[in-house]
Amino acid sequence: MSLKNILENWSHYRRGIEQGGHHKYEHMWGMALDLNKCIGCNACSVACYAENNLAVVGHDRFAKNQVMHWLRIERYWDEPDLDKVSDSTSQYQEHGASFLPMMCQQCNAATCEPVCPVAATYHTPDGLNAQVYNRCIGSRYCSNNCPYRLRYFNWFSFYESSWPAPLHLQLNPDLTVRDKGVMEKCTFCVQRIRVAKDKAKMENRKVVDGEFQTSCQQSCPTTAIVFGDMLDPESKVSTLWRTHQVELGKTKQAKQNRELRGYRVFEALNTEPKVMYMERVREV
Amino acid sequence: MQTKDINEQIKWAQINKDVLSSMENPRMAYWVAVAVCVAMIACAAAAVGYVYTTGQGVLDLYWPEMWGLFIATFIFWIGMSHSGTLLSAILHIVHADWRKPIYRFAEAMTTFSLMTAGLFPIIHLGRMWNLYWVLPYVSDRGIWPNFRSPLAWDCFAIFTYLTSSALFLFIGMIPDLAICRDNAKGWRKKLYTVLSLGWAGTDRQWRHFRKTYLLMACFLIPLAVSVHSIVSSDFAMSIMPGWHVTSFPPYFVAGALYSGCAAIITLFIILRYFFRFEEYMTIPILEKTCKLTFVIAMAWSYLNLIEFAATWYGHDAAAKEVLWDKFTGPFSPYFWAMLFFGSVLPFALAFEKLRRHLPTMFVVSLLLNVGMWLERWMIVSPTLSLSYHPFAWKVVWPSMVQWAVVFGSFGWFGLLFLVFVKVFPSVSMYEVKEMVYHRRRAHEEDQAKIFHRRTSDPQPAIDTPSA
Amino acid sequence: MSGIEINRRDFLKVMGWSGAGVALAACDMPSTVTLEEGKEEVTAYILPEEYVIPGIGVYYASTCQQCSAGCGIHGRVREGRVLKFEGNPDAKINYGKLCQMGQGGVQAHYNPDRITKPLVRKGGALVEASWDEALGLIKQHVGPESALSGDKFAWVTGTVSGHQAVLLQAHLEAMGSGNHFVHEVINNAVGQAVNSDMLGETQPTYRFDEARVIVSFGADFLGTWMSPVHFATQYAKFREAPRGILVQIEPKMTLTGANADLWLAVRPGTEGVLALGLANTLLVKHKRDASVLPAEVQEMIARYDLDTVQRITGVTGDRIVKVAGWLDSQSPSLVLAGGTAEGQEHGYETAAAVMLLNIILGNVGRTIVSSGDLPYAQMGPKSGNNQALLNFAETVEKGGLEAVFFYNTNPVYTAPSFLKLTDKLNSVPFKVAFAQFPDETAMRADVVLPIHSPYEDWGTHVAAYNGTQIGVQQPLMEPLNPTTHGFGDLLLEMLKLRKAETYGGFADYYAYLKQAISALPVELAQPARLHDAQWQQALQTGLIPVQRSARAISAKALAVNLPDYTQNGQYPYHLVPSPRLGLWDGRHANIPWLQEAPDQISKVVWDSWAEMHPATAQKLGVTQGDVVTITSDQGAVEAKVYIYKGIHPDAIAVPLGQGHEKEFSRYAKDRGVNPLKVLSPVRDAKTGELALYGTRVQIAKAGRHEKLVKMGGSEIQVGRKLVATVTADVFRRTEGGQDVA
Repeated sequence: MSLKNILENWSHYRRGIEQGGHHKYEHMWGMALDLNKCIGCNACSVACYAENNLAVVGHDRFAKNQVMHWLRIERYWDEPDLDKVSDSTSQYQEHGASFLPMMCQQCNAATCEPVCPVAATYHTPDGLNAQVYNRCIGSRYCSNNCPYRLRYFNWFSFYESSWPAPLHLQLNPDLTVRDKGVMEKCTFCVQRIRVAKDKAKMENRKVVDGEFQTSCQQSCPTTAIVFGDMLDPESKVSTLWRTHQVELGKTKQAKQNRELRGYRVFEALNTEPKVMYMERVREV
Repeated sequence: MQTKDINEQIKWAQINKDVLSSMENPRMAYWVAVAVCVAMIACAAAAVGYVYTTGQGVLDLYWPEMWGLFIATFIFWIGMSHSGTLLSAILHIVHADWRKPIYRFAEAMTTFSLMTAGLFPIIHLGRMWNLYWVLPYVSDRGIWPNFRSPLAWDCFAIFTYLTSSALFLFIGMIPDLAICRDNAKGWRKKLYTVLSLGWAGTDRQWRHFRKTYLLMACFLIPLAVSVHSIVSSDFAMSIMPGWHVTSFPPYFVAGALYSGCAAIITLFIILRYFFRFEEYMTIPILEKTCKLTFVIAMAWSYLNLIEFAATWYGHDAAAKEVLWDKFTGPFSPYFWAMLFFGSVLPFALAFEKLRRHLPTMFVVSLLLNVGMWLERWMIVSPTLSLSYHPFAWKVVWPSMVQWAVVFGSFGWFGLLFLVFVKVFPSVSMYEVKEMVYHRRRAHEEDQAKIFHRRTSDPQPAIDTPSA
Repeated sequence: MSGIEINRRDFLKVMGWSGAGVALAACDMPSTVTLEEGKEEVTAYILPEEYVIPGIGVYYASTCQQCSAGCGIHGRVREGRVLKFEGNPDAKINYGKLCQMGQGGVQAHYNPDRITKPLVRKGGALVEASWDEALGLIKQHVGPESALSGDKFAWVTGTVSGHQAVLLQAHLEAMGSGNHFVHEVINNAVGQAVNSDMLGETQPTYRFDEARVIVSFGADFLGTWMSPVHFATQYAKFREAPRGILVQIEPKMTLTGANADLWLAVRPGTEGVLALGLANTLLVKHKRDASVLPAEVQEMIARYDLDTVQRITGVTGDRIVKVAGWLDSQSPSLVLAGGTAEGQEHGYETAAAVMLLNIILGNVGRTIVSSGDLPYAQMGPKSGNNQALLNFAETVEKGGLEAVFFYNTNPVYTAPSFLKLTDKLNSVPFKVAFAQFPDETAMRADVVLPIHSPYEDWGTHVAAYNGTQIGVQQPLMEPLNPTTHGFGDLLLEMLKLRKAETYGGFADYYAYLKQAISALPVELAQPARLHDAQWQQALQTGLIPVQRSARAISAKALAVNLPDYTQNGQYPYHLVPSPRLGLWDGRHANIPWLQEAPDQISKVVWDSWAEMHPATAQKLGVTQGDVVTITSDQGAVEAKVYIYKGIHPDAIAVPLGQGHEKEFSRYAKDRGVNPLKVLSPVRDAKTGELALYGTRVQIAKAGRHEKLVKMGGSEIQVGRKLVATVTADVFRRTEGGQDVA
């Protein structure tokens, strides 16, 4: 490590998100999620359980919120007073529910990354917020510092309780079953990304948009989830971000048309999430 | 009414005798205390064993409250450790000599509370056997800890502080250990011979000793301040509402000094009662400690107000919500209790009558520390349970397993302290002698001035300190 | 029975033929056994079969059997184990998508509580037995020697279709019995009756994607109605610019209701009145052409003016006018009836009233089109209903039934207690359950035959809705348990007992199926190929295209007779036993993923609960988590209360799916209650179908409070921009489409 090297790295690392950040990206996997289409049916969430060896914790542990759903569907009501009827509030939820599928937002300026004492979570050249299970010592600081609360801790060894034989035969061998004491979260189905990248490399080509799907995207009956490489300007996801005028690498979004539906959750925190949501639509 | 800090007429031999006798012949009460402490440790050890065989889930920690009582108690014990430095280093530098009879046990407290505090981040880890990954050791694979993480800073800071404060305690004890050596028999003789490092009380040794001690004191003060500032950055460096507060470092340091001083009052009264240290741990010294505690309490309350005001005027809606939740939400009973114990109760220290009443001070000092423990809990848990994402709001009462470990940590601290008072002099003999000497000199000089003696007049006979 | 075992080599050959095939090696070995322990058959790995590449996942096409919608699936297979189901992109039902129940299919397949050995009742208890013993018993009771024939024999099944239906019918004929009771709790029987009376077709096809307005009376088409995944794919198109309007009218918010632009709470059972009110407004206010309706229908509609409708339904007039306005201005529209609207004493009338709206709006032929006829009628689905259950109970009560075969249904669990089916079944001397799980019915049978899971078995399926392809069900792996048998194989075996001359030639069901499919007319295959190639293609794609003969659809307006709403002093509330996309009618309560997947609306997991309106809760003095006792004239259930504003104050909803007996599954044990048990004997007057939502109840505080275990903290967004909402005119401005006038 020469002095020149250090200086170069230093100036490189000092680049903020508006200067493109300090990562060199090969890909930047991102998502666009249309809440106009999402019906909150849970298919994505269960597909995630199936693909990613997520543990089922059972009633009692669920009661304590010791739950492992990487992709959860949040449901909100419009009416503020749920258990009261008064003249000021309407009597019914006339516009249905608001559903919000929340998976790791794969922030480019992730708040979980700098706080891990052993660097078990870091940013990959794919723009993913990776979690190295082997390196994790379970300080749980990352989860505490995630404003989206999308990191889940293995409070127990779930192997025996969650997959009694022969249920264990269903486990996906492409990824591990995490043991107790380790943090985990949505990976954007990194195992599928890996396969697609390897295949493209063997065939000496680039990964084609839509060549593979994340598990949630694949199961979504209304195709509300669009996933792809944000560095590819032609990809569906890039097009959607562009159409909705949501940009990465901007601390303040410059939306020409403020009526466009694209937004990111907690945008003001500047964590640079790579999941864009498109607003729910109601006729009235 | 006793007004003097110390009896100026006390004989050197008497001091040696009083202190050395405290180290011998443990009475029944001592053994009972040891047994209680061991039982408490066993309780915590069983709890930790249970956690590690089943999983951290039995602590009733949950998504999103991942830290809970362990980290709160960790800050509490770190805070406790600041008292020793305050008494031995800061007051040493500012020449407040009333500290001398009581600083030794305060310094021991520093070391032991650090030894207690350090356990919490370790046992709270999901995989504690990999703890060494936080250390920057040279690895074949070139893997380093994440130097950006406040938890890694914590690790360095606590290790440094622990080593330094232990060294400081030891160095300050060398002249006393020599006294012990000269008076001990059997295994104690051997132990003290090794530990006193050949101390003979020569002029040269004293000169080196003074310099080293002063240097260590100067080194330790910024270290103590930095340690708690770094612990505060575990929170202040995050983006969570209620944690992301600029005033956290001074707030933490003030809180630390506060709980440390309160703990000194508690131990002061215990030692005075059990070891009959009435001659050394006098009421006026207690009063001074109480006044110091009162001042720090007020500083802490002020910083608390600053935090509230900064949040209130800060336009961070989420932070405001967390604050409001502390006042009115599920944690409000504990929050109000903390404010009462931390800001209202210390006014008891403002009244001379109460200050001089030992049982009252004993109870008050314990309650102050209950308040300070609650403060730490109120920093950690409300933010975790009620932060940005409303879907993740959830409050679950910590399980008995968590409480058992917290409870046991007091036993661990107590056991270390009990061993200390029987193996090492808990009152600094040589410094008490110094204090008595200086007080006597000052007194005589005052007398001389009063009687208009000429300086050429013969000085009254004064004992010279012997080592 | 060894004759029906598929030889492994042969099996592999077939799979090899099927194109992107892979051999299914070594799947019966526990994957945890290591080489070091010397227990493993090394050859499987050192000399892999041609298509086994360790580490490479291969996909096989099959058909999902988690509900009767018939979605095509791809099973991902690695090292001989099926790992995950994904939608088959070629399937025209689900277009590559799959719901959570489909995803849960793998856990049904690998379920730890599956029956693996035949069970035979001895001395009152079921004990494990050999296949020979079990089949011997069956031969003894229903074989040719038993002289059992005619209506002394019955099959009770869930929905069946394809070649299983053909063989089942053949077996019934061989037995000389007409007793086939096809039972499904969640069904569309009343709607189908209305369809055939008013449209001349049992199941037309709906064009959600064409519609600009959808008004659904209780039809939870995104959740539990007929073919939810198919409807969801169409819904996605419906929601694209210019974006149609969805109005959902029901007493309890369903998943579809949660996605509606306007959700209207209607007093249970008055949906038909509301439909007629809309018709009235359309005719009177919007001057819609009334000539499509006969005079008596016009007269009837005229009686339902706005005031009457408001009074009966509890829906305010401005809402009715608004919905009518949308229906008038946006064309074409689609008005549906289902679920809570149909499951009433006058369910048929209600569905007919809703169909009148379609006729007035001219939707028939535009958004409601003919499905055509299936060329192979005998393979068509035998769709289940609850009437079959009632009929079965009556038949049992009448006496004379000597042997009953159960397959793919669990009537002991689903039967309301007024049927006293559990007791009555004791009078049937010989009961055989073809069962995968030790469910309530299987545990009361005399012989339990453990069958393959659908994902290790052969079969074909024709969906009741959108059956434009025959779904091929082929094994995704070798049987997990060597001691289970395929249902088709067993059925064939039963047939051989009686009709050896016809069916004796088939070694097993696979052979039968291969011959049957190869014999389908070649021109149906796309592109046309040889017969044998047709079989291979069927296996490769999992689908056989079907040319349904075209058919015209015509509308016939019928007068309906709807009663006024009546209060019931003793039982003032309506019980809504709400089906869930997840546990369905309770059959999936043994799938841990689905137990842990929160209910879409209440977000409750692993339990039953009672949904209640805050007004009702205030009246009863209960808060969330309080336990209430819900009593009908047939019994009582207890459940914790979930309070929200997605339910009519006169209704209380308890979800289906829980309350199983402990033998069924470790995951369903001690979980919640089964609201079906307290249903009153109310039947649809016209069709005789059980009125699932026609039960009146009283509610009382049980005096206990228990924690309601649900996902999530806050139920509202607390000022955050989590789910932002824009109005549709903004959407249309930015993303295309015209504004609604």
